[in-house]
Amino acid sequence: MLKELKLYPKYVSMSLRSALSYKADSIIMMISFAVSEIVSLATIYLIVGTVPTLGVWTFETLAFLFGFTLVPKAIDHIFTDELWILAYRAVRRGDLDIYMTRPLNPLFQYIARTFKWDGLGEFAVGIVIMCIFAPQAGIAWTASGIIGLILCAALGVFCFTGIKLLFASLAFWVKNAGIFLNTVYDLSNYAKYPVRYMGKAFASIMFFVIPFGLFLYYPVECLITSANIWWSVLWSAIAALALMVLSLTVWHIGISRYESAGN
Amino acid sequence: MIELIHVEKYFKKPIRGKGVWGMVKTLFSTKHTLVKAVDDISFTVNDGESVGYIGANGAGKSTTIKMMSGILTPTSGEILIDGKHPYKSKERNAVLKTIGVVFGQKTQLWYDLPLTETYDLLRYIYDIPEQDYRKRLGELVELLDMKPFLDAPVRTLSLGQRMRADLAAAMLHNPKTLFLDEPTIGLDVLVKRNLIDAINKLRDEYNTSLILTTHAMSDIELLCKRVIILDEGKILFDGSLDEVKHMFGDKRNITIQTVAPIDPAAATDKYPIDGVASEGDGLLTTFTVDAQKVKIDVVLDFLLKTYDVSDVKLSETGIEQVVEKIYERNKAAQPQSDSAQDDIPTEREDG
Repeated sequence: MLKELKLYPKYVSMSLRSALSYKADSIIMMISFAVSEIVSLATIYLIVGTVPTLGVWTFETLAFLFGFTLVPKAIDHIFTDELWILAYRAVRRGDLDIYMTRPLNPLFQYIARTFKWDGLGEFAVGIVIMCIFAPQAGIAWTASGIIGLILCAALGVFCFTGIKLLFASLAFWVKNAGIFLNTVYDLSNYAKYPVRYMGKAFASIMFFVIPFGLFLYYPVECLITSANIWWSVLWSAIAALALMVLSLTVWHIGISRYESAGN
Repeated sequence: MIELIHVEKYFKKPIRGKGVWGMVKTLFSTKHTLVKAVDDISFTVNDGESVGYIGANGAGKSTTIKMMSGILTPTSGEILIDGKHPYKSKERNAVLKTIGVVFGQKTQLWYDLPLTETYDLLRYIYDIPEQDYRKRLGELVELLDMKPFLDAPVRTLSLGQRMRADLAAAMLHNPKTLFLDEPTIGLDVLVKRNLIDAINKLRDEYNTSLILTTHAMSDIELLCKRVIILDEGKILFDGSLDEVKHMFGDKRNITIQTVAPIDPAAATDKYPIDGVASEGDGLLTTFTVDAQKVKIDVVLDFLLKTYDVSDVKLSETGIEQVVEKIYERNKAAQPQSDSAQDDIPTEREDG
């Protein structure tokens, strides 16, 4: 573990220098991620204008929720984007071979090789939106609330990574797990809206099965309704722990049945 | 020392139905064929030995190498490299430090960066002390003639250069054993020859064990003293290269081109000739001769005097024909009975 931590900056620097050979590509990606998020916020604005307000959920509070969901998503995107390739084709094409013959954790080597700095666009949009709407969202700001929210965002990153790793690892069984990962990942978009009003069955799924509602929506709901945010920190921590243990277990079982690809 | 003890590796392949409806059925079906890629293989490789691992496509060569280098886990049996299992998560790091692996069809080099970047990363991964690393890299660059492309991005290298670079990457940490999976695939004759010379130089310089799979049998003649021949996941032959040659003779082919079709009987009656084949409407005739039974130059002299020869070609038969012979001999020894065994689908229900 120590060795991996020591090596990580080296990987990041190599990945960044690799990406520099395609500089325009990265900048375009960064802008397009940012623009697409701003457009979806505009959509929320239009919807809120035509629908009567749901309790505490005005456009300002919704925008704050929207901004918050982008933060863990963007950080996960920056660090573990290679998992998408794992889901779609790495297992099918036998790309993991070269990592498995080196004396270093293969999962670490695989994930560390891509540092997706274009995710910074998404991250910046999230932070800016939160800053703009924090004063208008009717939140009673306290130090405890801010620390709680930051902790929730940090734990949310692990939840995102866990969910991605879990569904990408299914590729060891089905070869191409891209469609599963894509579907599940898209569910995270629903956490940008008040999950609690989405019907009991769906809300239960979003809280307890694929817990996007729990670690993205619930912290903001706690803040806005002046509930104790530390409950949501606890729930996010439980979700993060459970998802990491589960996904790492599935990865380990999967990699032991990895079949490479024929020559 | 590397030991393989009754190693087996099976792959499950789903039985696919025909057409769209068949595809849908496959999705929900648990029926599958059990493909035996490696079927009860045992052998030992001592330190410093060079072993050529040959067989037809799908004989299980790559699968065996991938199990020895930690990529695949055997279905049953054991693989021990100096007493440790390369595929067990607790032991793999210790084992992998002592081996180097090169795949002809994959590269471990960082695609968009100069070679030296990958080498520097490997230095950290294998914990190579700075001084050893500099010395070693200097030697490898010299030996493999890599100076001209050391600072170019890997994506701009030719295949021959890339193979040499991959070879250096696998040798940086001074491995006891080097695994080469089809290292000469896709290379032209001259580049291939250079690469083989380089591998030989590396081995002699560092006394590394070599385990190599290849389609090109001539590679093995140049690189290995011991040969293991595989077919359908089983070992057909395990012994020295000399033994193979001795067992099946030292055969040469003499091909003559003539202006008109000839009657080879004049030659076959006079000398012990093992085989005659003719092509191109009888204008190209190949005589296969055992060099241990009769002198080649005597036969050649006779052919040139007897027939109206316009061109001559001499070639060694190489291992290809030997392998073919072994296949033929084994198939003749056990007709039909189990050769089709692997093709029979084993239907199973998985819960």
